[in-house]
Amino acid sequence: MSAPLLTFVGVSEPVDAMLDDLTTEAAVLRVYRQAFAVLAREAGAMILDVDLIDVDEAILEAFAAAGSDGLTGAEVVAACHAFDARVVERRLGVLRDYQAISKVVDRPNEQHYRAAFAPYIMLLFLRRLSERGGQSELHQLLTLERLNVSHPDAVQADGQQSVSRLSKVFRLLANELTSLVQRGAAEALRENAQLLWGNRSLIVQAEEVHAVVLRRWPALGPQCAALRISLAAYGDAIEAAAGRLIEQAGTTRALGFLPAETWLSFARRSDAGTLAAVLDSFVFDAPAPWLSPQALAEAVESARPADGPRFRPPRPDDRQDLPEKDLVPADDGAELRAAAERLLGERSGVSVAELLDEAGDWPTGRRLVAEMIAIHHHPDLGFELRWGDGLRIDAQSFPSWVSDGWFGRLTGVPQ
Amino acid sequence: MLRLPEPDGSGAWLLPVLPDNASAAVLDELGLPGHVLEHPNDTARVLAACVRCCWADPAGPLWPGAAAPWEQVAVAFGAIVSREEAVSHRALLAGVRRLARSGWLLWDEGAPMIRLGPRVAAWNAAQLSTLREMCRSMPSAGGDVPRPPI
Repeated sequence: MSAPLLTFVGVSEPVDAMLDDLTTEAAVLRVYRQAFAVLAREAGAMILDVDLIDVDEAILEAFAAAGSDGLTGAEVVAACHAFDARVVERRLGVLRDYQAISKVVDRPNEQHYRAAFAPYIMLLFLRRLSERGGQSELHQLLTLERLNVSHPDAVQADGQQSVSRLSKVFRLLANELTSLVQRGAAEALRENAQLLWGNRSLIVQAEEVHAVVLRRWPALGPQCAALRISLAAYGDAIEAAAGRLIEQAGTTRALGFLPAETWLSFARRSDAGTLAAVLDSFVFDAPAPWLSPQALAEAVESARPADGPRFRPPRPDDRQDLPEKDLVPADDGAELRAAAERLLGERSGVSVAELLDEAGDWPTGRRLVAEMIAIHHHPDLGFELRWGDGLRIDAQSFPSWVSDGWFGRLTGVPQ
Repeated sequence: MLRLPEPDGSGAWLLPVLPDNASAAVLDELGLPGHVLEHPNDTARVLAACVRCCWADPAGPLWPGAAAPWEQVAVAFGAIVSREEAVSHRALLAGVRRLARSGWLLWDEGAPMIRLGPRVAAWNAAQLSTLREMCRSMPSAGGDVPRPPI
């Protein structure tokens, strides 16, 4: 019983369930390696090339065609002429080492070999796995178990073994799935998604076996409880893995995480509320105009100078403005002419020193000087003030010094 | 993602927060055409008026702000644009509708109160200071104009 169990454990690794959609040789090879892992004697001795499987098959075919006499190594190589002779010889050696082929008669110098049928059975099994996936095998095994425990000749020990096998199977499945959910990358989970979808029937079948066993042998209650627990664990693992996948697919919008059929059936069977609920946790940020505070401030600023209220600029006081005519410079020609006549009297010219002497003090004298300069510069008056080089200095009297200057009428100018 | 709870706790807005180098402002910097907004200046003035009225505490955050009656916003908007009342009202209504549609304001058609929308929470601190400055210089909602400093 142990050999089928080992085989089954091998193929029931979750990875093989994805074989339905396997396309690459590497993935096929991985399943082969996993399937043989329980049989391999040491690590590193596993086949590394999917072509070697074909070589093995050709070798076994050659043995099958050879009849009971067996074949020598050279004959096998010749029969497998489609493949490289060295490769065939190497595979022969490996098969010999694993006792897949053995000497027809166990004696030294025996050249003829015969092949065991088990390796070919295994090969057929693996071929089938790689083409059809592992789920049907699982279903068949469950059906077989049910037949076994339902058989009239079955005894309590059979039921116990069956239940314990199923417990182990589902434990292994659930453990693998749970560890993928908790630690694995979502992509790895997606690769194993085949193990998730539509596998409820596996649990249903296992429950049927469980029911039969429990009905026939109530003493197996504890074992049945273990089976129930492992089934529940598998169910939970499926739920968690599916939830994780859906979450990943939802948040990342990586629609490839779920099979296309899942999306299709969801879209077809859901009502409007369910479809809308998909987007409940999402914020739709439809393209909307963006307004920055700078733009706001600029817009407010640009509106104000044109139309905003205007303020009167501050003024020093509120007195009435002077009439405009007051601001025009007065023409004081007449006054200046009178002053000049007063200074000159009947004289045609007088020295500045003389005029200052007449004034007597500086406040009067400086006004006289200012008048004379103004008269001199007035364009309409015929008087002039001429300055010479002389200088009269008298420190004791007023003025203490006077430049040599003359104030008089312009000659030849009509008055 | 920014979570903006309603003041009464009845719900929350989820606002996507984009990094500065991926927000809509980048489009302006690059001179690329963004979303076309009709009457951008008037709309911006309407939003400015609403900010002026709804920003209860200029020292604090903008969201959630306070609800402001329509008339107050209208007065604030009128103080900005100084137009005829009918023209101003038309511009204000159009601007509020545009802004409410894009989430800048919360306003139901015909409702008497206006609130700031969740989108204003996307403005960062530097932009808020610009806004504060703008609010200070704006005529207040009461209609009295601030005196210029003598």
